[in-house]
Amino acid sequence: MATLFERVFKGSDEMYAKAEAAVAEVSKEYSDDTTCVFPDTAYYLPCLYSMTGKKINTLGMVKEGLAWCKEQMTREKRTHDIFTSGIATACAAEIIEACKYIDGKQPYDKSPLWGHCTDGEVRELGVPLVTGDIPGFVVLIGPAPSAEEAVEIVKSYQTKNIFVFLVGGIIDQVVSKGVKTGFGVRLVCEGYDLWSVSYVISVAVRAALIFGAITPGDYDGIRKYTFERINAMVNAYEPVDDMTVACGAGAISYGFPVVTNDDNDMWRVPRSLIVQKDTKQFVETSLEARGIKLKITNIDIPVNFANAFEGEIIRRGDMQIEADGSRVDCVELVRTKDASEVEDHKIELIGPDLDEFEVGKKICLATIVDVAGRKMQPDFESVIERKFHSYINCIEGVMHTGQRDMIRIRVSKSAFEAGFRAKHFGEVLYAKVKSEFDAVVDKCQVTIVTDPEKVHELRVAANETFDKRDERLLSLTDETVDEFYTCVMCQAFSPSHVCIVTPERLGLCGAVSWLDARATHELDPSGPCQVVPKTGVIDERTGRWESVNAAVEKYSRGALSSVSLYSIMEDPMTSCGCFECICGIEPMSNGVVIVNREHIGMTPLGMTFSEMASMTGGGVQTPGFMGHGKHFISSKKFMKAEGGVARIVWLPKALKEQVRDQLNATAKDLYGIDNFVDMIADETICEDPESLVEFLTKVGHPALSLDPLM
Amino acid sequence: MEEFKLTTRDEMEAETDKLLEIGRKVGADSWQQRVKNQTPHCRFGEEGICCRICQMGPCRITPKSPRGICGCDAAGIVGRNYLRFTAGGAATHSDHGRSICHTLYLAKEDGNYKVKDPEKLKRIAKEWDIETEGRDIYDVAHEVAETGLMEYGKPFGTQRFLKRAPKHTQEIWEKEEIAPRVIDREVSCSMHMTHMGCSSDPEALARQSLRAGLSDGWGGSMMGTEFSDVLFGTPMPVDTEANLGVMQEDMVNIIVHGHDPSLSEMIVEYAENPEMIALAKSYGAKGINVAGVCCTSNEVAMRHGIPMAGNFLSQENVVLTGACEAIVVDVQCIFPALGPLSKCFHTKFITTSEIARMPDSDFIHFDAENAGENAKKIVKMAIENFQNRKKDLVYIPKLKQKATVGYSYEAIVKTLDTVTNSHVDETGTTKPLNECVKSGIIRGAVAMVGCNNPKVRHDYAHVELMKKLIQNDIVLVVSGCAAQAAAKAGLMSKEAKNLCGDGLKRVCELCDMPPVLHMGSCVDISRMMVLVANLAKDSGWNIDELPVVGCAPEWMSEKAISIGNYVVATGLTTFLGVYPQTKGSEVFDGLLQGGIKDWVGACFHVVEDIDKLGDAMIEEIERKREHLHI
Repeated sequence: MATLFERVFKGSDEMYAKAEAAVAEVSKEYSDDTTCVFPDTAYYLPCLYSMTGKKINTLGMVKEGLAWCKEQMTREKRTHDIFTSGIATACAAEIIEACKYIDGKQPYDKSPLWGHCTDGEVRELGVPLVTGDIPGFVVLIGPAPSAEEAVEIVKSYQTKNIFVFLVGGIIDQVVSKGVKTGFGVRLVCEGYDLWSVSYVISVAVRAALIFGAITPGDYDGIRKYTFERINAMVNAYEPVDDMTVACGAGAISYGFPVVTNDDNDMWRVPRSLIVQKDTKQFVETSLEARGIKLKITNIDIPVNFANAFEGEIIRRGDMQIEADGSRVDCVELVRTKDASEVEDHKIELIGPDLDEFEVGKKICLATIVDVAGRKMQPDFESVIERKFHSYINCIEGVMHTGQRDMIRIRVSKSAFEAGFRAKHFGEVLYAKVKSEFDAVVDKCQVTIVTDPEKVHELRVAANETFDKRDERLLSLTDETVDEFYTCVMCQAFSPSHVCIVTPERLGLCGAVSWLDARATHELDPSGPCQVVPKTGVIDERTGRWESVNAAVEKYSRGALSSVSLYSIMEDPMTSCGCFECICGIEPMSNGVVIVNREHIGMTPLGMTFSEMASMTGGGVQTPGFMGHGKHFISSKKFMKAEGGVARIVWLPKALKEQVRDQLNATAKDLYGIDNFVDMIADETICEDPESLVEFLTKVGHPALSLDPLM
Repeated sequence: MEEFKLTTRDEMEAETDKLLEIGRKVGADSWQQRVKNQTPHCRFGEEGICCRICQMGPCRITPKSPRGICGCDAAGIVGRNYLRFTAGGAATHSDHGRSICHTLYLAKEDGNYKVKDPEKLKRIAKEWDIETEGRDIYDVAHEVAETGLMEYGKPFGTQRFLKRAPKHTQEIWEKEEIAPRVIDREVSCSMHMTHMGCSSDPEALARQSLRAGLSDGWGGSMMGTEFSDVLFGTPMPVDTEANLGVMQEDMVNIIVHGHDPSLSEMIVEYAENPEMIALAKSYGAKGINVAGVCCTSNEVAMRHGIPMAGNFLSQENVVLTGACEAIVVDVQCIFPALGPLSKCFHTKFITTSEIARMPDSDFIHFDAENAGENAKKIVKMAIENFQNRKKDLVYIPKLKQKATVGYSYEAIVKTLDTVTNSHVDETGTTKPLNECVKSGIIRGAVAMVGCNNPKVRHDYAHVELMKKLIQNDIVLVVSGCAAQAAAKAGLMSKEAKNLCGDGLKRVCELCDMPPVLHMGSCVDISRMMVLVANLAKDSGWNIDELPVVGCAPEWMSEKAISIGNYVVATGLTTFLGVYPQTKGSEVFDGLLQGGIKDWVGACFHVVEDIDKLGDAMIEEIERKREHLHI
């Protein structure tokens, strides 16, 4: 019987030999200076970069990386040696995969094999990880005992919102059963070969670099971060070979337990290497091993309900019915009522049910949620209402976009066939509102209306409410309120970052507005959002308050002592890493370039989003760079200290369209400029600084005449 | 947050030097000075070849006179001395156990002593076939105590607790004729065997040494431990602090020193009494601070988190701080020097046991009937003495470390339960630890125990060995003064995980425990016996096959030799850092360091070079692993 140590050492030798062969193979065709990198990442070969700090981007440097792997494969009979050998095995695996990307090749077509996940994708995980909407990751290495069982385990993890990666034979098992895969549905097929498991490690270590601001090359710092903060797990189906055991040692070193049904030459290690003969118990065994406690909401509906289904797209052909607010009357509304007016858990349908419409029909739909509670405030109505999108989207086979009266909901044929009906919207909304807003909502009832006339009436009435809310929102400025809020929700992943949320500056993730923060504080008074009284003004221009500095110092535990809310040059606000946009100064034009996470192209700074994003994050102040939410772009407080939105010289086209109206209005108000957005360049105009200045000069962009930024 | 760092021996010695300087000013004597006065020691005594057993002698063995007057050779003389040494230790530990049995016998609902862990009492009763169903818990307690007391003097049979050992071990004891009979008989028999004109056969003397030791470890000590748990609660992990810095300048400091928790538990209780605290305040103190020295410290630390001021060789230091209002002692390891030393300061030296009477002390006799009253009296004396403190003589070194203590066998199992997986594992076993050892994540375990001894730089061997072992993924279970050495240095802080190899570090993180586990006082080495017995049962290996060894690098007392004998006789090879008084006979020494392995699967190894001692233990553990193919 081989010992655990013998198996790890043998497996790591095997992986190393394969990596050596892969490098030798590409070396036949390519020279050492050929580019050899993964696309859309600022972190080179992330596994190697995180552990060594080596910035590998050519084949020649890949060879240096391989030499490092060999050095790490030491052979003393100590856990240290199986840990370093295990991590070196993962790094050698990454080298095998990197060779596939040599010279700009795109080895994976994402149908279904995904390969490398981009920085944008990793950053997208920030908010759901923080909120617990993704409680963890699992990588399934297999084939499972049967295709049916493969689907079963995947679905089981998905319903628990666990992000699933597949490696090996289980991919075909899952795909053959018609299960949708892809990053959006949180089910990613990495590759058929074991070495593709390195892509999963790559995601985990980049989380440490991005959200944890761990210095690349801080070997123990990365392991500490992943061990303490990344809830990942490995499930390996028998037969588990030595190479998988070696990768497992790497996973365990990072803190990720391995669960397997192979007890042949397998050595149990508590909470780390667990033999579970019954594969049907893999899920529960793994969750317990990693200490993942799920937020359980039992919702009585005939289809699954999980965050994994949030990104699901339902095409016209798969659709049973559609509610489309752009064509017919639709509306969603939360109303605050007296307790006597609300019957808890009453779900009422007014009008025909889904099975009374013909297939493909566009129906009118009003979803009215009445809530009552001693601590409920009308300001929270919009906070609750905005969550409908996410709640309804999490229903398997149901898609939701938009809000208020401009919504679109599609119910798929398969969901319909499974028995999904109108009242089930009510069940979902009731369960989620009651569980997530339990501190303010004591009673909740839901009315679903499909009767066109009634929906029309409701829509008209709702619009009056919406108008009033908008007026209230407009009146909410940093000057008119007496308090700001902290938001430290991200500290689970980004321990020294603190957001200060004001009416005119929402959290940089885009997910927390001032009202959200207020509601969060109300829901959990000792939670992540704490009141910062607006006192002790130091400088109104740059947005400095003594109370804000004190709060930042307290909640960053001394990491930060001073921030200015309205400047990106002087003590700018820090970032956690999950920001929607990043702006950076562009010296030639005297302005700033803003790029959002979805934009993968180049910017005039000569950097992509990923590269700019890697300049900041993890709670570190980087003057000249700042992460922020999309809504902040049109705020009058955006870079107020440096002259405001007039500094914006470049935006990706898609983002420009999203912010156009509000940004134009802000520019008009501040400077009297009409159609300011047309003066801003985008990728269709230029991607380099020279052409940018040329364009700005041509349109007479105001930034050119402002004081120098630096 | 301040970065975690061990307190070094140099730092501690620098502070000791300052205290000795103060001591010199007031004319205090010190063990450091007395060691100088006593050096060199008598070589015949050191090698065990001085025979003072009859009045024909003393006889000394030299090349020219290889036999004593009666004709006994070196092996016989060394063997007899060694057996008497053992009997002294076994008698001492077991008498401590007996006194706990008496306390249990006197426990009552409204008395000074109560049953705090009835569940444990019931478990023991069940083991001993004593009915518990429908009975008053105190009835059960009294019957268990009486049955325990019979283990000291019943006419027939062997020790009841032997059944706790794996079958294989019990068979060895039977086969080798070392299964201990009643405790008093083993001690008496040892004295008889070593009387003039009785045994001089080295093998017979060695065998009886093992048997007398076993009557301690699986008899008297085990009862001491188990019944202490019943009376005062089974220890569970608790946070405390260690080293002289735990003494408080603005409080009344009462130091408890010795071994029997019956005294210290009462002092702790009355020091928390509001009436006493009010009294202390009326004398200008902020409150009452109880801290421990030696094994008493282990007892109260692991049950109440009472801070540990120091170990055996720190006992004079606590008085030298000038801030000790009273040092209250019971039995064992108490320097008679404390009497004269306390007279140099305002300190009250209070003796409480008829077993340990000393000049220059206030004697307040302590027994189960008057315990509460007398504890109150002692606390009051200390408080009233606060005003006599000479402020210019007060110097409390700032050194202290955090420690998590209280890993009884039950606590270890409970800790291991936290890393089981309810879908595959059972709870209440040592299996998780076995899995760590089998897989090699942890290489093995060392039970490090024992005293301080001026022949070794104070605590240096304990701490250096522990550092080396944890770095090599070897987990430590410790007790006695070894435990305090670890705590003072910082090795019982959970932060000490950062000094471990990757494997042990991970285990500490997952179990949320320090790498050096505090199992209690010196009688509590019986807990270690229960631990290895269950490790063997749960793994299917014999105790002598387990990659576990014992170690006493700074031992000095007779108790330590008794312990060594039962640890070895249980199957754990034991490494000593100080040579026992056996060097004078290659034959007897050869038995201890080799021959007895054929009987019990383990033996002693004496390695005086501390660095080599560490390597030798690691090699032994790896050798055992190879033997098991793990």
